[in-house]
Amino acid sequence: MPAVQDTIDRVRKIDVDQYKYGFQTEIAVDKAPKGLSEDIIRFISAKKDEPSWMLEWRLEAYRRWLTLEEPTWARVDYPKIDFQDIYYYAAPKSTPGPTSLSDVDPEILKVYEKLGIPLKEQEILAGVQKTDASDLEEVSDNVYKSGRVAVDAVFDSVSVVTTFKKELAQAGVIFCSISEAIREHPELVQKYLGSVVPTSDNFYATLNSAVFTDGSFVFVPKGVRCPMELSTYFRMNEKNTGQFERTLIIAEEGAYVSYLEGCTAPQRDENQLHAAVVELVALDDAEIKYSTVQNWYPGDAEGKGGIYNFVTKRGDCRGDRSKISWTQVETGSAITWKYPSCILRGDDSSGEFYSIAVSNGYQQVDSGTKMIHLGKNTSSRIISKGIAAGFSQNTYRGQVSAHRKATNARNFTNCDSLLIGDQCGAHTVPYMEAKNSTAQFEHEATTSKISEDQKFYVMQRGIPEEEAIALIVNGFVKDVIQQLPMEFAVEAQKLIGISLEGSVG
Amino acid sequence: MNMHTQPQRTPAETALIDAFGDRLSLLPGDGAVMLKRDDAIEAIKHGLPTRRIESWHYTDLRRLLNAVPDFDPAAAAKAIAPIVDGSTVLALLNGVSSAKAPDVEGVSVQRLSEKLTDGSIAPGLDPYGSDDAIGALNTAFVADGFFVDIADGAELERPVELQNLQAGGQTHVRLPVRVGAGAKAVIVERQAGEGAALTSSVSQLVLGEGAEVTWLIVQEQPETATHLAQFKAHIGKNAKLTLFVMNAGGRLVRQEIMIKTTGEGADFKLRGINLLAGDTHTDVTMVLDHAVPHTTSTEVIRNVVTGKARGVFQGRINVHQYAQKTNAKMACNTLLLSDDGEFSTKPELEIFADDVICGHGATVTEIDHDHLFYLMARGVDEKSARGLLVKAFVAEVIEELDDEAIVEALEARLDEWFVTHG
Repeated sequence: MPAVQDTIDRVRKIDVDQYKYGFQTEIAVDKAPKGLSEDIIRFISAKKDEPSWMLEWRLEAYRRWLTLEEPTWARVDYPKIDFQDIYYYAAPKSTPGPTSLSDVDPEILKVYEKLGIPLKEQEILAGVQKTDASDLEEVSDNVYKSGRVAVDAVFDSVSVVTTFKKELAQAGVIFCSISEAIREHPELVQKYLGSVVPTSDNFYATLNSAVFTDGSFVFVPKGVRCPMELSTYFRMNEKNTGQFERTLIIAEEGAYVSYLEGCTAPQRDENQLHAAVVELVALDDAEIKYSTVQNWYPGDAEGKGGIYNFVTKRGDCRGDRSKISWTQVETGSAITWKYPSCILRGDDSSGEFYSIAVSNGYQQVDSGTKMIHLGKNTSSRIISKGIAAGFSQNTYRGQVSAHRKATNARNFTNCDSLLIGDQCGAHTVPYMEAKNSTAQFEHEATTSKISEDQKFYVMQRGIPEEEAIALIVNGFVKDVIQQLPMEFAVEAQKLIGISLEGSVG
Repeated sequence: MNMHTQPQRTPAETALIDAFGDRLSLLPGDGAVMLKRDDAIEAIKHGLPTRRIESWHYTDLRRLLNAVPDFDPAAAAKAIAPIVDGSTVLALLNGVSSAKAPDVEGVSVQRLSEKLTDGSIAPGLDPYGSDDAIGALNTAFVADGFFVDIADGAELERPVELQNLQAGGQTHVRLPVRVGAGAKAVIVERQAGEGAALTSSVSQLVLGEGAEVTWLIVQEQPETATHLAQFKAHIGKNAKLTLFVMNAGGRLVRQEIMIKTTGEGADFKLRGINLLAGDTHTDVTMVLDHAVPHTTSTEVIRNVVTGKARGVFQGRINVHQYAQKTNAKMACNTLLLSDDGEFSTKPELEIFADDVICGHGATVTEIDHDHLFYLMARGVDEKSARGLLVKAFVAEVIEELDDEAIVEALEARLDEWFVTHG
């Protein structure tokens, strides 16, 4: 496994804590006062230049949130969050509404450079600026060959730059920050925002609805296959801030889009809150593929610091024959509370969930999915691989349900857990609810450790123990890695290696 | 779970609390026992569990328990024949034990009312947690039962059948059984009766070193009864417990199974069949604690759902941190035969040790069309073919019990159910 060895070597050079994105960048920021009140929400809304309906929507969510209690059913344990001790708005000070990379604070660009994010593909960008149709065609032809990805970068609360916008526009695809979408495409936002995750959905989603500051918006019109991978990078930089982004992706009839999000944050001793909401809408024959490589700061070796990642992600297969596929690689965050779900409303629609959750140190992961079968002949597939090491707790929690009218609903679930060390825990909590006799549900789960036989087999071929384990683990998660876009599959594999570093012995 | 304020008491909650006030002077128990009863009724005053309590997610007792019958001193339950001829029968008729227990070598039997009066049973009356509504209900009201002690090394030739028979009203019984080291026994727990009764029944089994027990729970309450039951067992070193549960009746049934392996080499097998019909709700909830190293368990549950029946199986396997080399497997298979029926299952694994092999599988499906075709192609009509397949699906679990008399007895119960509900 040369890739893994390479990763291990690189990581050793970085830091004892092995988190390579732990740097902090000094950037002038514009912050709202600490705490949460209707005034703060008005402030955020005004900062974003939002129409009044948006402000009303936020305030309604806030009033609802005040009546809700924090959920406690997940297997995670953390001190009570003081919601008044968080900055709800922090934006890097730069020219309002950057239109091109040159308008962006060079410090921010440096951050993305450190992260290795392909923001500055300026040559290609320059090419895009030519509006000549023949050039564009050429560009589209090269899209897959050059492996280009359109990126929306979100820094603390604000989207700083979105690349390839013009080229995407040529195809009819709208890819911009959600704040921009609220201003530029209010009819679309109003129609779809909150239609999958209503403002009253759950404690964190409601909080997000009230205070979300930015996020990405994607609209792929009827019959369009999005010409490139879309991607958002989230970076939490400021101290004591919470990040509340909101992503909305709409694929109209027959459209296709593949979207990837990545996230990192600096190393800090205190915990930071991240409560995002992602909504996907797939109409007839549309397909959305959503991949996440989540690498928020997990805390140090003693479990101090790290991100609380409380995320609501849900896709609505609204149209017939639509398809939504979630792939996630979860290696970061002190606490993960995340259940990307599919509502299979359209007939013949299908949902997929592929997940790798790696926990080490004192991380706590409670993640899984929900597949709600409502339409006829719907199918879903869940593959979840949990790897627990160190003192971590790794829980799969998933629900599959078939409603009365969901004839021929079909589900296959497989969740496997791997334990490395005897101080960690792996838990599986699947819920299966069938209300239709033609439903066919299968669930299987296993928990085991890496067998001595497997390890011996690899090691006796001259591979050292740590690499042998990385090799076996990568084999264990192969089913999921295969679902990721190629560039990210490599990154995900490396991340897993880094996360498990130091877990042997 | 969040402590949330109960808006108002339901009629059932009020009825239970009132009944406790009325019954208090009649309930046996010394000071210690009466204190436990007070604590238990306090727990009920906080409200019956709702679906917001995780362990009651699929059985919202507060909503489902909509009527509590009064105690009925006139109810007279009738004795029934044991499922295996020649068994030693210990009968509880309407919650009252027969005065004289049959004499069997190696088995000593005491009426539980005596052990409540002298307080020797008090330590065992604690509910296991704040969500243990059945334990609390039983502790508050338990008036009788049998305390059975099987001597070390005793090998019982004939099964012991514990019958809990009701004829309406309320009955609350408890069946503590201790099986000594190296002893061997087959114990049958019969739960049956007539009328719209509310019963709570708690069985507590302790297996000594090397003991081997097969325990059968045969629940055939009428479709008007509410049956809340608990089976708790501690399995000692190298001891083996095979628990067989058959639910074939009841309007609202919850059978909890709490098992703990307490000695190395302990082995637990659970085989269950739930035959669900009518407009009923049946919940089997198991919590299995592998608390020491080198213990094994397998669980197989088969469910058949017809009519408007709702079924639930929750099975949690906890593997404690030091319980290395645990080998635990669980399977829950459901045949959903009607569009109005439903089945929910939640097989859980909670694992804190790394050197273990644990797995669970769960399926929900209808009858395999290929199997049906196979039989029909051989001239079997559809109805009979379906009947054959359904029966085979559950009979498979019974046949695993390698005691001919018991297999025959259970198959007879199975046939009877199919005749009534076929």
